[in-house]
Amino acid sequence: MAFELTVNGRRHRVDADPDTPLLWIIRDQIGLTGTKFSCGIGQCGACTVHLDGKPVRSCSLKAGLAAGKQITTIEGISKDGTHPIQEAWKAFDAPQCGYCQSGMIMASLALLKQNPRPNDADIDAAVTNACRCGTYHRIRKAIHRAAELMRA
Amino acid sequence: MGVDRRKFLKASAAAGAPFVLGLWIPPKPAMAGVAAPPGASWDREPPVPEVNAWIVIQPDDTVIVRIAQTEIGQGVWTSCAMMICEELQCDWKKVRPEYASSNRDAREQAPAWTLKVPGDGAQDPTGGGTPNMGAPATRNRPGGLGVPDSLYRRMRTNAAASVADGRYYQQLAGAEARERLLLAAARLWNAPVGELVAKDSVITHAKSRRRTTYGKVAHLAAATPHPNPEAIRIKAADQWTLMGTEQKNLDVPDKVMGRIVYGIDVKVPGMKWAAVKACPVYGGDVKSFDFEAIRGRPGVISAMQFGIPDPKLLRNHTFSGGVAVIAESWWQAKTALDAMPIEWAIPPKEGAFNTQNMHAALIASLDEPGRTRVNLGDVDKAFAGAAKIVEATYSTPYLARARMEPGNATVLVTDDRVDLWIGDQSPQETRYSASQITGIPEKDVYLHLCHLGGGYGRNGNGPQAEQAIMIANAHRGTPIHMLWTREEDFIGTTYRAMSVARLKAALDADGWPIAIEVRIGMDKEGFGPDASFNGVSRYFTPNYRFSTHTTTFHVPVGTRRGVGQAANEFYRESFLNELAHAAGKDPYLYRRELIGRTNLPYKADMIKALDMAAEMSGWGTPLPKGKVRAIALEERGGETKGAATISAMVHTVSLSPSGDIKLERVDVAHEEGFGFINPLSVRKQIEGQIHWFYNDAVHQAANLENGRIVENNFDRFPISRMAEDPPELNIRFFKTGHWLIGMGHDRATSVQSAIAEAIAQTSGKRIRDLPFNTHDLSWS
Repeated sequence: MAFELTVNGRRHRVDADPDTPLLWIIRDQIGLTGTKFSCGIGQCGACTVHLDGKPVRSCSLKAGLAAGKQITTIEGISKDGTHPIQEAWKAFDAPQCGYCQSGMIMASLALLKQNPRPNDADIDAAVTNACRCGTYHRIRKAIHRAAELMRA
Repeated sequence: MGVDRRKFLKASAAAGAPFVLGLWIPPKPAMAGVAAPPGASWDREPPVPEVNAWIVIQPDDTVIVRIAQTEIGQGVWTSCAMMICEELQCDWKKVRPEYASSNRDAREQAPAWTLKVPGDGAQDPTGGGTPNMGAPATRNRPGGLGVPDSLYRRMRTNAAASVADGRYYQQLAGAEARERLLLAAARLWNAPVGELVAKDSVITHAKSRRRTTYGKVAHLAAATPHPNPEAIRIKAADQWTLMGTEQKNLDVPDKVMGRIVYGIDVKVPGMKWAAVKACPVYGGDVKSFDFEAIRGRPGVISAMQFGIPDPKLLRNHTFSGGVAVIAESWWQAKTALDAMPIEWAIPPKEGAFNTQNMHAALIASLDEPGRTRVNLGDVDKAFAGAAKIVEATYSTPYLARARMEPGNATVLVTDDRVDLWIGDQSPQETRYSASQITGIPEKDVYLHLCHLGGGYGRNGNGPQAEQAIMIANAHRGTPIHMLWTREEDFIGTTYRAMSVARLKAALDADGWPIAIEVRIGMDKEGFGPDASFNGVSRYFTPNYRFSTHTTTFHVPVGTRRGVGQAANEFYRESFLNELAHAAGKDPYLYRRELIGRTNLPYKADMIKALDMAAEMSGWGTPLPKGKVRAIALEERGGETKGAATISAMVHTVSLSPSGDIKLERVDVAHEEGFGFINPLSVRKQIEGQIHWFYNDAVHQAANLENGRIVENNFDRFPISRMAEDPPELNIRFFKTGHWLIGMGHDRATSVQSAIAEAIAQTSGKRIRDLPFNTHDLSWS
C-alpha cells in the first residue's frame, strides 16, 4: 500500500505496509541510514527521530501513523554538520563508537527546542538514550554548550 | 537472480544513491573512479601510486593513511594515523584515514626489515616496546593471533593492544615514507639529502632556498626505494611532537552527521536481506521448519537451514544451527521468520542447564583439588599459626557485550570471489572462514571493513560472518545482508564466564596477612584465572597459593571487555577491603603498606597511583552518612619488568536509605608510561570504562533457564543512562619509565569493589555476588 511521508522537508511516496516501523521505511525505502536500529523495542533510543519536533523512537512507531507529519532525522538538522548541537558534539569529541549518537543528538535537540536552558536534572529526565560506550559525561557538556550556542 | 560480476560492477558505478561501492580489484580498469560512500572506507585503488602500503599522498598534499585496526570507538582511526604521521611529519589537517585492505594482506608480506622490534624491550624509551605478535609466520591458520608477518601484520583488534603492538611498525612505515620523500626531493635538486628538512608536508633546502611539498614529489618517492631501510630508526618518546598531544578523533565530524557507514548501513545493488534464528540452546539445531506457512508473505523469497558453524572457525566455540528467511527487505524477512513454525532439536544435557545448577556446580568445584597455579611458601603452616582467619566467597555472572549495533554482514559469493562488508575485529580470521566455507582461496576474499557499532571483545561478534557466508554461499551471485535482531545478538555472542572465588587469609596479631589462598571456579579455563592472580600476590604475603577449578558448560565463553581482570579485581579488591576492616586499618594505607612490602619492580608506580588518587579525592576528610570513598589499585603486567599499566581510583559513592546507588565522583590517577599516543582517547576510554564496570557491578547479569540465556534485550539487560553518570570526574596522568600494555579494557574495574565497600560501610551488608541491584540494599 502506498502512502506519503515528509522527511527532512521532502515528500516521499512509500510503497510498503503502513504497519512497518517508521525506522525501516526511513532506512530502507528512503535510504537515510543515520538513524540506527538497535533494540527494536523502544528501549535504547538509537532510532530517535523527530515527529513534528517531538522525539519518537522510530523502531516502535508504525510508519502509517507518521503520514502527514514532519519527520526530521539526523540528516535533516544541517547539510554540512554545522548545526550548533553538532558543533558542540565535535568540540567535546563526544562520540566513541558513534552508533547511538544520532539518536542522542536528536533526543538532546528536542530537549533544547523545548527548554533552551536545561539544567542537569532536565537533561537526565529528557535524554534517556543508551550509550554502551559510556559517553554521557561529554554528551552532558555538549548539551550545555549547544544550549549556549543556540541561544546566541 | 544471479548477478554477473561485470554487470554488478557497472550497476554499482551507475547506481549513484544511496551508496556506490568501491571494490579494490587488482589489476584495475573496470574500477577506476568508483568511490566509496561518504563515511565509508573500503578497498579501492589509490588515486595515485602509494609511497608504501600504509601511505598515499595526493598531489594536493592529502595524506591517505591505511588503518589496519578496526574502529570500535576506541579511537584507532586517529591514534594509528598519529603513529604514522608523527614520523611522516605531514600536515595533520590533511590526513584522511581509510581501512587497510585485508585482501592485500592475504597476498603480500610485510617487508623483512620491519619484522624485528627495535630497541630493548619495555624499559627502553627509544624502542618499540614489547609487542605480542604471536607465533611466527603461519599462513592460513585460524586462531587468535592473526598473521604476524603478513602485510598489515596484526589486523585483529583486541586486548587494548592496537597501540602497544602496532606502534613500532607504523612508526617505521611513516619514517620510511618520510625518508623516501626527502630522497626524491634531494635527487630532484641534486642536493645532499642530509641538508633537507621536512615539516608539515613541506620539504625545504635552506642553502638553495628551494621548497616543495610532499604532494609534488610523492610520485617520485613512490619510485624511489629506500637504499638501506634497516638503518631507519623510530623517534624516541621525548622527540614526539604529534603523539602525546590531544587530538580529536578524525571520524567524529562524520559521526555527528550520521554519515559513518557501519556494517548495518551497507547496501549493494541487487542485495536481499536475511533474518535468522539460531537454536537458543548452544549446541542445538533445527528439527523442522515450515516455509509453506510464510511463502506467500510479501517480499519473501526463500528460507534455508544452516548447520552449527564449524567450531574450528570460531576458536572452538559451539554455537547453534538455525534458519534464515531471505526477503526483499529486512522487516519482511524478520516478520516472516517470526511467523514461521520452527521446531528445535535441543540437546538434553545442554537444555537442562540453569543458573542455579551451574552456580552450585562451580561452588562445589572449589572443594575439589583443582589445578594449583602458584604455591609460594607454606600456606597450610601459616594458617595453622594464624591469629585470625578471614574467608569470603564471591560470585560474578555470565555477561554479554551487548554492543549497540546488532550482528550483521553483507556477503556476495560468486564462483571465484567472495566480498564481505562487515564491522569485524578479526578480519584475518573471517577471511579464513570465508575461504573455508566457500572453497574460494583467501587471496580472492575481499573483506571491506566497516566501523563497528561497539566492540568490547574480539570474539563477541560470534558467528555473524560465518552465518552470513553460509547463507550467501547458498545464494551465489546474490548479495545477502544478514542482520540479527537484538534478541538474536544475545544468542550470537560469546559471554564472559560465570565464576566464583573463595579467598582466605591468615592474619597475624596486627592484622597483616601471613598467608592468602585463592580458589577460582569458572566455566572453562582461560579468560580469568590467568589474569591478576597467576603470579605473585600483588599485595604482599609470604605464603600464597592460587588454584583454578574448572567446570565445562555449554555457553560460548570469550574475551569480553576487562577479560578476567574485571571479575578478579572485584574479588581481590573487595577482599582487601574486608581484610583492612578485620585489621581495623584504613583501606588506602593498608594497601599502601602491603605493596611497599613486595619486591614488585613497579611498586613505586603503584604507590604513586594510590597516593595521587587518595590526595585528589580528599581521602580522609569527613563525609555524611550514606556517602563513602573507596580506593583500589588497577594493575596489569607489573609482576615482571615488562610492559605494565597501572592506575588507582577513588570512587565516592552514595547509598540512599531505600538502597539507590549513586556514583558521585571518580578520581583517577593513571600512569602514562613513556607517553600516550592520544591522551584525549585515553580520557574517553577511562570515562567509558567507568560506565562499563558500573553496569557490571550494578545492573547486568546473563542468567540461564532451560539451557538458554534469559536476558536478551535491554529491558532485561539494562544499560546505564545519563542520570547515572558521575557528576564529578577527575583524571590525572603521571609519567613512568616503561611502555604501557594498553588501557582500553581493564580500567575502572574498581567501580565494582568500591560500590560493594560503600554498601558495606553504609548498610552493614557485604555483597559478594554481582550485580548489586538484585539485592535489597536498604538501610536505616
